[in-house]
Amino acid sequence: MAVTASQDSRPLRIAVDIGGTFTDLQILDARSGAVWAWKTPTTPEDPSIGLMAGVREAAERFGFALAEVGLLLHGTTIATNAVLERRLARGALLTTAGFEDVLEITRHVRRELYVLAPDPFPVLVPRDCRLGVPERMRADGSVETPLDEAAIPGLLARLEALGAEAVAVCLLHSYVNPAHEQRLRALIRAARPDLPVSLSSEISPEIREYERASTTVLNALLAPVVKAYLDRLEQRLGEGGFQPLVFLVQSNGGVCSLATAAEQPARLLLSGPSGGALAAGRIAELLSRPNLVAVDMGGTSFDVSVVQAGRVSVVTQGEIDRLPVRLPMVEMRTIGAGGGSIASVEGGGRLVVGPRSAGARPGPVAYGRGGTEPTVTDANLALGRLDPEYFLGGAMKLDMAATRAAIAERVGTPLGLSVEQAAQGILTVTNANLGAAVRLSLFEKGFDPRDFALLSFGGAGGLHATEVAAEMGITEVIFPREPGTLSAYGILYSDLVQDLARSRLLRAEPGNLPAIAALAAELREEAEARLARDGVAPARRVLELAADMRYHGQAFELLVPWGEVAVPDAAALEMLRARFHEMHQQRFSYSDRNEAVEIVTLRVTAIGRLPKPDAAEAAPAARPARKGTRRVFEAGAWRDLPVWDRDALRPGDVVIGPAIVEEPFATHAITAGWSAVPGPAGALIARRV
Amino acid sequence: MLGPIEIEVIRNALTAAAAEMDVTVWRTSRSTIVRELLDYSTAVFDAEGNNLAQSARIPGHLNSMSHLLRELLDRWVDPDSWGPDDVVITNDPYCGGQHLPDITAFKPVFHEGRRIAFVGTLCHHIDVGGLAAGSYAAKAIEIFQEGLRIPPVKLIERGIRNEGVWAMIRQNVRKPDLLLGDLQSQIASLEVGAAALRRLATRYGAAGMIEAGARILDMSEAAMRAAIGRMPDGTYEFTDFLDDDGIDLGQPIRLQVRLTVAEEEITVDLSGCSPQVQGPTNATLASSNSAVMFAVMCASMSPGDEPIAANAGCYRPVRTIAPEGLVVNARHPAPVVHRVAVTHRLLNAMFGALHQVVPDRIPAAYYGNSYVCTFQTVAADASREVLVEIEIGGSGGHPAKDGVSAFASGMHNNSNIPIEMIESQMPLTITRYGLLPDSGGPGARRGGLGLFREWRVDSERCFFTANMDRFVHPPYGLAGGQPASLGRLILTREGQEVALQPKADNVPLVRGDRVRLETSGGGGFGPPEARDPAALARDVALGYVTPAAARAAYGAGA
Repeated sequence: MAVTASQDSRPLRIAVDIGGTFTDLQILDARSGAVWAWKTPTTPEDPSIGLMAGVREAAERFGFALAEVGLLLHGTTIATNAVLERRLARGALLTTAGFEDVLEITRHVRRELYVLAPDPFPVLVPRDCRLGVPERMRADGSVETPLDEAAIPGLLARLEALGAEAVAVCLLHSYVNPAHEQRLRALIRAARPDLPVSLSSEISPEIREYERASTTVLNALLAPVVKAYLDRLEQRLGEGGFQPLVFLVQSNGGVCSLATAAEQPARLLLSGPSGGALAAGRIAELLSRPNLVAVDMGGTSFDVSVVQAGRVSVVTQGEIDRLPVRLPMVEMRTIGAGGGSIASVEGGGRLVVGPRSAGARPGPVAYGRGGTEPTVTDANLALGRLDPEYFLGGAMKLDMAATRAAIAERVGTPLGLSVEQAAQGILTVTNANLGAAVRLSLFEKGFDPRDFALLSFGGAGGLHATEVAAEMGITEVIFPREPGTLSAYGILYSDLVQDLARSRLLRAEPGNLPAIAALAAELREEAEARLARDGVAPARRVLELAADMRYHGQAFELLVPWGEVAVPDAAALEMLRARFHEMHQQRFSYSDRNEAVEIVTLRVTAIGRLPKPDAAEAAPAARPARKGTRRVFEAGAWRDLPVWDRDALRPGDVVIGPAIVEEPFATHAITAGWSAVPGPAGALIARRV
Repeated sequence: MLGPIEIEVIRNALTAAAAEMDVTVWRTSRSTIVRELLDYSTAVFDAEGNNLAQSARIPGHLNSMSHLLRELLDRWVDPDSWGPDDVVITNDPYCGGQHLPDITAFKPVFHEGRRIAFVGTLCHHIDVGGLAAGSYAAKAIEIFQEGLRIPPVKLIERGIRNEGVWAMIRQNVRKPDLLLGDLQSQIASLEVGAAALRRLATRYGAAGMIEAGARILDMSEAAMRAAIGRMPDGTYEFTDFLDDDGIDLGQPIRLQVRLTVAEEEITVDLSGCSPQVQGPTNATLASSNSAVMFAVMCASMSPGDEPIAANAGCYRPVRTIAPEGLVVNARHPAPVVHRVAVTHRLLNAMFGALHQVVPDRIPAAYYGNSYVCTFQTVAADASREVLVEIEIGGSGGHPAKDGVSAFASGMHNNSNIPIEMIESQMPLTITRYGLLPDSGGPGARRGGLGLFREWRVDSERCFFTANMDRFVHPPYGLAGGQPASLGRLILTREGQEVALQPKADNVPLVRGDRVRLETSGGGGFGPPEARDPAALARDVALGYVTPAAARAAYGAGA
């Protein structure tokens, strides 16, 4: 099933991003370069129903045949939601005897300092389902206590009695020597072939037992859930000749095959932000803006990711519901600020915005669905920045009277402010908070905001972008086309990416080259095998090495890219060491070439390049770009501001702020001091005058 | 006159400035204690030294830096000659600090020729000299043995390094490069904070900044007064004990709190506490105040109340009475390095008193101590490796829910070290790590469980140092709940078990020795008989409570 061949004969590819409310689609026709966007309601009980509905609707609307679709790239929150809603398999955890409680003891640090009735960290496998296995590996991979196979029948009986539907295995030091874990699985399989087993040495073969156990447990408990979904999805394929190759979006910003997703569903966790970050990477390339800080503002949250020197910033660990997931993922700073964030007056007369949110239900007061507390969206409406008749392209009418009343009652009156002053105050507080989050995301990496352009997307981002940028001294804001379905756009251009890792604590010194080379060879071999299994032709494979490194004595590591090193030699090792010192200097403001440097984990990113047909530039809509004017409260007074139609803007048009730019699923405020022009790839580019 | 919007924007910007300072320390410091144990704090103060905003790290640091800065301005540094390019540092507990390893640095911020603010950073440094590596000697009997004392001194004056001070520090500490590197990062952090405040001041002016500071403090004071005003007036007492000071063994140290709520104010009288002790289990007022404030703020910020911005305004309605010469206000030259033990126990006592004020909010006692121990392994070739472990126990049962097992509580907030990391780096093996059944105090709401951890020595020799408490006086229960288990340290050598002292320096160990630590759980809340039978059955099924204890402590299945 060569990826390239199927591409050529069937020219359409579809990217689907399934969110909580909407399923977003982007369709690319490689023949014409046409890109179409479509939205359909999500069907939470079985998201594949909504997916198929969206595909059929789009085919009808845009006039393509289902049999022409060669590739379906699928972003899904099915794994994320299963964890958050605890719709998980009943699982057991096998550990080295004497360490059954590591999963419950966690890493200790508490998040909330002043809370007197704390909630425990979630523990997904209760104590009676955590079983000790007599065995012990040492840190160098030697066996201190052999696996006691006499204990296996008792263990199997216990699993039976517990009714375990999935098993996670996490033995100490299995990242060095997986023999005991593999033997355990073989013995379990022999007796219980039906029982899915996740080994920590395969899911997250890295040092630090708690994080490895947590990741493995999540994987094991998700396996039956994700498998059931993928089975349902596969059953639906074939309808009407719809038989594309299917790939799923992972949290690392790449996609994987159905087989990989079924075996390693933990890789789908936290894949939500991947699409947006992928799109940011794509836009950085298309617009030749190597430094981008991307902000995605939706109803409840504000997500910040960073593209630096053309690369999306990636971290090696994230978390879901306070549980660590130790797998590479797109780096994201999230704060609880969105269109639905609630403004309230708190003790001593403080105006507080967020993190409480009205969410989609009841939502802002303006939606008329029972919301009574004013939100950021309500403030935008009250000031005339949103058109009550043109929300979601006119699909939803907003209730201006109720919105103004709520702002007056809940914010204006308690603070002695007019409705306009109160609404403006809500936005001022919000923008300052958003600016602080962006500044901190860059500052903590040692970057200067002035070297970056701001990429604004998500339904609510456009109304805040220029003001947030101004807070930080950023002078360019990019509004991509289709900001409401940008994640799907990013997914459209993804590659197959598999991350492999091995931990081995080694000094980065020439004497250890044989060990490092052997580890690298092992990883490369497995990477090649995985890409081959997914049908990636050799010419489309890229293997990139990287190492987690630190100075001796440090307790955390820096991820240092090593590039496409085939066989590490002395020169390559020296380059890696030099790069580590350099990165340490950049990120932590010091480096010391005389200090011993250690490699903790070696990584291979195996990339299967999918073809990237160019998208055609969309033609401007054949109607006037100027829609007229609207009364907007701006700089302390009601004024008539020009309103522009995003889809009708053509080269040569200049939007001089203050002005409003509208499109069906988003509204952008170009504030005073900024002007915006249409740019490549359908982007609108605003610059500080 | 600034409006409420500007005030909130400035307040958030001050918090962001403290966060940027925090990131700067994290990014640029050198030692593991700062970078990995995150033992530091950063804060922004008004022109008079009142804390306006802080990074949330270690409860024991919070609310103590303002005390120190005000003391410096009152007594030790002439404010009129403290210029914008002068950095003052000190670590002296007897000038308003806590203990010698904590070096605090302050710098004023000026705009339009007026002092508008201070910025400050506090770091726990890896070593400041003295009797023992790490400056944590368990057997010191005067502060001179605890390390280098730095009086309030200008480390940088008019932008120029005071080289004499740098040289004096360098000559007196065990890891000068790490210490001076961390100190350098503190200074970098001060400049980041000062720049953020100057940016803000260009928008709001010096007068605006000063007005905003005053209003921010007033708002927190008002919110705090409202919270205290809802508490019933009266005087409430509670007493808890530290086991001893490590020198006079078996001589308990009394922490007695007499807390009076009168309308919107709280007075905490600590006059009934023990006199200061010979060993280093003493605290200065900065430490004791920090425990008192932390307790009152926890009690005022419980769910259901509106959130209160933590700053010096919160301190105004609270007064501490602590005569000099007591264990909570030690007189020079008493050693004070283990002040954290005093603050843990003082916090336990404060919560015991507050339970009588707001009984629906306060849990029974948490384990109340930092289980600090050090292994220094010595290989056959004499090479040495050092491991510092800080363990924790369980939190107390709460009126609304059970305590949490193995939960970092109270005055400290540290992380544990992965077993695989330890075993990869030094000749030690962890042979067991788990929750300790029956260690949680029985109660209608059971206390969280403590834990056990066992180390085996794989080197020729090893020196073991410990500083722990609650081996005699267990974490108390409340409202009929029972106390939690006691801590234990057991050495197993050639099959024989021996108890180890919880406060001991350099106990020699040999290959094959095993040291087992058992930590206390949290106390129980409410009578054990009132525990929901289903919850008890689940405890037994999960092994949190053994069947024998279920019968003995809960009367189950009799």
